[in-house]
Amino acid sequence: MGSDHMKHSDGAGKTSSGRVNRRSFLAAAGTGTAVALAGCSGGGGDTVRIGGIYLISGLAQALGTSSENAARAAVDDINENGGINGNDVEITIRDHGSQPAQTIRSLVQEDNSDLLIGITSSGVGLATAPTIESLGVPFIATDIGTPYITEFDTEAYGDYYESDDGKAALKPNIFRSTANTSHMTYGIAKFIADNYGAMRVANMGPDYAYGEQCWEYFKAYSEGLGVDHEYVASEFPSLGASDMTPQINSVLSNDPDLVFTSFWAGDSTTFMSQAAEQGLFDEVEDVFDTIGADPTVFSALGDTTPEGIHLSGWYWPTAYDNEYNQAFLDKYESMYADENVPSIPGFTGGQTWGAVQTYKQVIESVGSLNSDDIISELEGFTFEEDPRGPVTYDADSHQAQAPVTLGTTSFDVDVPYDGAGLADIQKYTITRDESLELLDGSGLGPGM
Amino acid sequence: MSGALDSAPAVEGNERLLVGAGLLLLVVAPFILGPFQTGLLAEVLIFGIFATAFNLLYGYTGLLSFGHGMFFAVAGYTMAKTVQTVGPMLGFGELFGGASVLATWLFGLVLAILVTVLVAMAIGYLAVQLEEIYFAMITLSFTMAIYAIANQDIIGTLLEFLGMGNGTFTNGSDGLTFTLGEVDLFGFTFTLVDIADPFAYYFFTIAIFAVTMYLLYRIVKSPFGTVCKAIRENPERASALGINITRHSWVTFVLSGGFSGLAGGLLIPLFTNVTPRYAYWAFSAEPVLMTVIGGPYSFFGPLVGAFSYRYLRWFISRFEMLEAYWQFSFGLLLLLVVLFVANGVIGAPKQVRSWLDSRGE
Repeated sequence: MGSDHMKHSDGAGKTSSGRVNRRSFLAAAGTGTAVALAGCSGGGGDTVRIGGIYLISGLAQALGTSSENAARAAVDDINENGGINGNDVEITIRDHGSQPAQTIRSLVQEDNSDLLIGITSSGVGLATAPTIESLGVPFIATDIGTPYITEFDTEAYGDYYESDDGKAALKPNIFRSTANTSHMTYGIAKFIADNYGAMRVANMGPDYAYGEQCWEYFKAYSEGLGVDHEYVASEFPSLGASDMTPQINSVLSNDPDLVFTSFWAGDSTTFMSQAAEQGLFDEVEDVFDTIGADPTVFSALGDTTPEGIHLSGWYWPTAYDNEYNQAFLDKYESMYADENVPSIPGFTGGQTWGAVQTYKQVIESVGSLNSDDIISELEGFTFEEDPRGPVTYDADSHQAQAPVTLGTTSFDVDVPYDGAGLADIQKYTITRDESLELLDGSGLGPGM
Repeated sequence: MSGALDSAPAVEGNERLLVGAGLLLLVVAPFILGPFQTGLLAEVLIFGIFATAFNLLYGYTGLLSFGHGMFFAVAGYTMAKTVQTVGPMLGFGELFGGASVLATWLFGLVLAILVTVLVAMAIGYLAVQLEEIYFAMITLSFTMAIYAIANQDIIGTLLEFLGMGNGTFTNGSDGLTFTLGEVDLFGFTFTLVDIADPFAYYFFTIAIFAVTMYLLYRIVKSPFGTVCKAIRENPERASALGINITRHSWVTFVLSGGFSGLAGGLLIPLFTNVTPRYAYWAFSAEPVLMTVIGGPYSFFGPLVGAFSYRYLRWFISRFEMLEAYWQFSFGLLLLLVVLFVANGVIGAPKQVRSWLDSRGE
């Protein structure tokens, strides 16, 4: 970790010395262009610019859009309340596109973003981390689950960028406002340990790194908690699969007591409706999911949502009884009540709103838009006004210590769409030390 | 005005002049463009190599490969493995000192070409037994097989089975991410791939670009290239002239694969990561699209196509309304090109000229 920091500052220093020719050339020849460009941008030199990158087309569109909506609501809220240090905030949100690294560079180098939020895929998050580091702008990840991106112990878990099995990928300017897979699976493992004990457990998840990681972490935490499950099946339908019945039947034929799943967005909808058709919810005692609890999933399923199963989530709108969450919900509803989306935020809403609002407080606290100042202020910063309750960004891992929610699907929840919601919500928190102890021997890092 | 321009020697002279001016512009470009555009230009040039290499098989030999992404992916993984594993294993750090990053990169490029040539020899041998749509399908099948091998990390699983490693080799869907950092060459220091400002890497790119395009040009202008065209135009007649069509197609396939591998090995460090997506069939459509847009029957067509394709995408990204529906806007603009420009973008000036002439009459 220490060397990582060193390398970063070292690189920045060398850059200028190696480019002297070019920079001086630019200074001389480019002055005219610079003046012209300054004119184009409207001269609003003090505007705070936030760049966001989300999957707002294709498979995860509903998820990215809900993050985008929450971010825009936060920006609107900030501007209505005097901006940041009296300056207006502007947000540009772009789709990942086919080359997310380039989209991120464009957000900073063409749109002049001072701050970044986003990313709707762990894989993309890990792949673009060097680009984000190179740009040096503060980045808060709001939608990704991989524990690796907030794991700093390269000695214990290997450097992600230097080997094919490294699991520590933290970069100096990357933070995360959402709970990660390590935290989510702990919540589920703990719930099962407390309520069921050792069972016959089967797994189903999307066929990519996220699905595999969720299952690995769940098993590791269960073992750490001393619960001796029997793992009877594990199936990974491809991401975005339209037919999961072969895998559902394969799981059923192994007669599990519990089914652990890691589906999200469209895959959650597909799984729940097809599992219901195959009678899975009648044949097993309980079903769990990591991040499936989302208004878009419930409204798509309508009255076919299985009741009484346990879904976890990064954020569930009615899980937090505090004025900041209420302010977020009110703002969200006022902005999107007439739109063709559920008028309550999705499972990435709280942490996306929180990320933007955190930036506001941090910038006001340091009094400038200097990236390095913002980054060092963020390390260990506690954001008191987060919808999920006070949230602290760990100084070492950059992971926000926010609780995860685990609730029961129910039709008795007051939601602004036809469908189920989450009831009997429990919250789980865990520290790095506790996680280290539980994961000991698994080779998996806490990432927090 | 048409007479002088249509005469062959004048066009040849013009072409040479254009190439010279183009190269000069490429050398000056990074001093004028910002860091973002410099990176984009480097990327476009490498895609230009990729599409031109692809066109050796498509435009010149008449074989439409729908699996060229596999060479790109194989080369990318070779480069990533060289940087992460092979380089350190061979002790490049001690061997080359400050130049170790540069040495690793060059070694990675050579390995990337060698490995893709081997892969192309094996796959090509089977593929060239077929023609037309069957050729397209078999190349597509092979690239999807390589996609599955990388995505499921089958090599890692096999190695673990044999008692080597712990099950990761391609690292599944996340792929391999790496950076190429500081180079200290006789006291001159620079970052080989500075992602935010790939100034140094750009110059390595245009040097390789110039040499590669020259080699490809010599190949298509040689008797070898003429035989390719003969196969494209009439395989039966070419065969009757004593040409071993299968063998010649195979050699072309290997050449095309090798140059595509060079493009992959060159571009992946700029992207800093390689994932199975480069072997997925959708990525193999990119050189096809670039070539069709640019014009497959001209040497520079695919290069012009690569420029049009990437800058069109960039242009869309600059307008919020277009960007919000970028797939739609992109498709629509491409449709216009395909519908109204018969021989690709490279044929457009000529087409406009003849249209103007016909109106003048």
